[in-house]
Amino acid sequence: MFSRESAAQAQRVGLNPQPWRWSHPRVLVEHPDEAAGLAIASGLRFAGYAVAVCPGPAGHGRCPLTGPAGCAPAHDADLVVSSLGYEHEAAREVLRELRTRYPDTPLVVEAPSDADAGLRELLGGCHQLPAPATPEQIVAAVQGLSGQAAEEGTGGA
Amino acid sequence: MRSPFHSEQEAFRFVVLVIVAVLPVALAAVLGPAWLAFVVLAVILGAVAVRVALSRMRKLRDVELPVKMAPPHVGSAAERRVLVVANDTLGEEALLCEVERLACVPRTHVLLLVPALISPGARLTGAVDGVLDQARVCLKTALDRVGHQLVVAGEISEADPLQAVEDTFATFVPDEVIVSTGWERAASGLEPRLAGLVRERFAVPVRHLVFEPGAAAQEPDRETEARYRRESGQAAARNFALKALVGVGIAAALLMSMVALVQSSERDEARAASQAAVEQASALPPVAKLVVLKVIPEGKLGPEGEKHDEFTQTEFTVRAGQPQELRIDNTDTVPHSITAPEAGVNIVVMPGTHTYTLLVKQPGRFLWFCTFRCDEWAMEHPGYMSGYITAS
Repeated sequence: MFSRESAAQAQRVGLNPQPWRWSHPRVLVEHPDEAAGLAIASGLRFAGYAVAVCPGPAGHGRCPLTGPAGCAPAHDADLVVSSLGYEHEAAREVLRELRTRYPDTPLVVEAPSDADAGLRELLGGCHQLPAPATPEQIVAAVQGLSGQAAEEGTGGA
Repeated sequence: MRSPFHSEQEAFRFVVLVIVAVLPVALAAVLGPAWLAFVVLAVILGAVAVRVALSRMRKLRDVELPVKMAPPHVGSAAERRVLVVANDTLGEEALLCEVERLACVPRTHVLLLVPALISPGARLTGAVDGVLDQARVCLKTALDRVGHQLVVAGEISEADPLQAVEDTFATFVPDEVIVSTGWERAASGLEPRLAGLVRERFAVPVRHLVFEPGAAAQEPDRETEARYRRESGQAAARNFALKALVGVGIAAALLMSMVALVQSSERDEARAASQAAVEQASALPPVAKLVVLKVIPEGKLGPEGEKHDEFTQTEFTVRAGQPQELRIDNTDTVPHSITAPEAGVNIVVMPGTHTYTLLVKQPGRFLWFCTFRCDEWAMEHPGYMSGYITAS
């Protein structure tokens, strides 16, 4: 379903907007609400993560991730927290692109418990949190997933 | 003086770009004429100008996406770091009280960042020290007034205020930013829009405190922030238009200089070619405009003592490619000729006086002779009915 070729293709295209300036474990937070996004970012910062907060398609009409340009913060993120609300197709498109382009990047998705079949299929394999999730829940999920990813990395090595 | 680069990578990239840009100019200067180097330089400068203009236009159109970033928190979880950015409001009592209040909160560190706001003119003229000294005095006064030296520090930056804040994110790593300005931008003060720019860029809480002399701090509402954003955009557009105008002027001046240089170079080459032609022409033997001669039967005594037919002039000097007029009075009753097959010359000289044109296309020395049967001895001997044409 999600090809590695498309992920490789994403490496070749130009990336917008600015790239990450920090090399710590990096988490991209996609949240349409500025205050909520900042609250999650604050929790993640105090947990030791560099963060980028993006309002998603609501903030700038069209997300570069769904176009040929690509998105630098998503490209180099170690983990993505997506809380875009998936009633709109634009938000689902962003999620679809994230899964297609970066199949190896862990994804925490804040999704409604009564998700329709299409959304459930899209969310298959993601770490799901029932909406609305508190920043603490999201931070805990991120810590759990990054710990898991680190263990897998160590095991693999 | 502060380095304009913010990282070694940036400096290295700049050096590589300069080398890449200078190399074709140097090659053009070495391998081609001088004007070619100017053309290459103009093309490179034009490309740089277009790139900068596109980048600026992109910023003006706000195509840059609103992604905020922040580094991880530094220190223990209970520790808090607050960055206070102020310049002309640094002496305001209300701001100093706010800093003092923050410093009193346990495990809170405060950094007072003072962007020195050095104008490009001051940078060019080197009048930077005065501005920096003034900022140092203001900062020292503020730090002395606030006290709490263990938790309150100060820093002066020569960089653009937003860049200074960005640099501080790499060194101090604040958890909160307070931007202090006046309601309207003063000549030597921070732009009120700075708070919005910091808020758009960094994923930490940003407070904008506005101070007026003797009044308490206030936070601008959304409408005021929107106005700051609008006015800043308009000012940036004006600034961009002005710079574009100056850029076009410089480009036009450069282009005109190049055209003048090319024309001057062409004129010099033409002058040099003309001079060379004159010198070459002066080195050649002189050529008469009109040569007058006669054909006289039995007019010249031969070495054996008999008279032979003759052309009174048998050596002709001409310029290759230039016609030479010959006025020949053939006193004989039959035609004669000046024929030089190698030079492509065949002039039939009719009885009577006529004017003929002698044209030799390539330089050289060519034998000519009369092809009409007359004095056979004379036809075979130069100086009688035969001779040479020298074309130079």
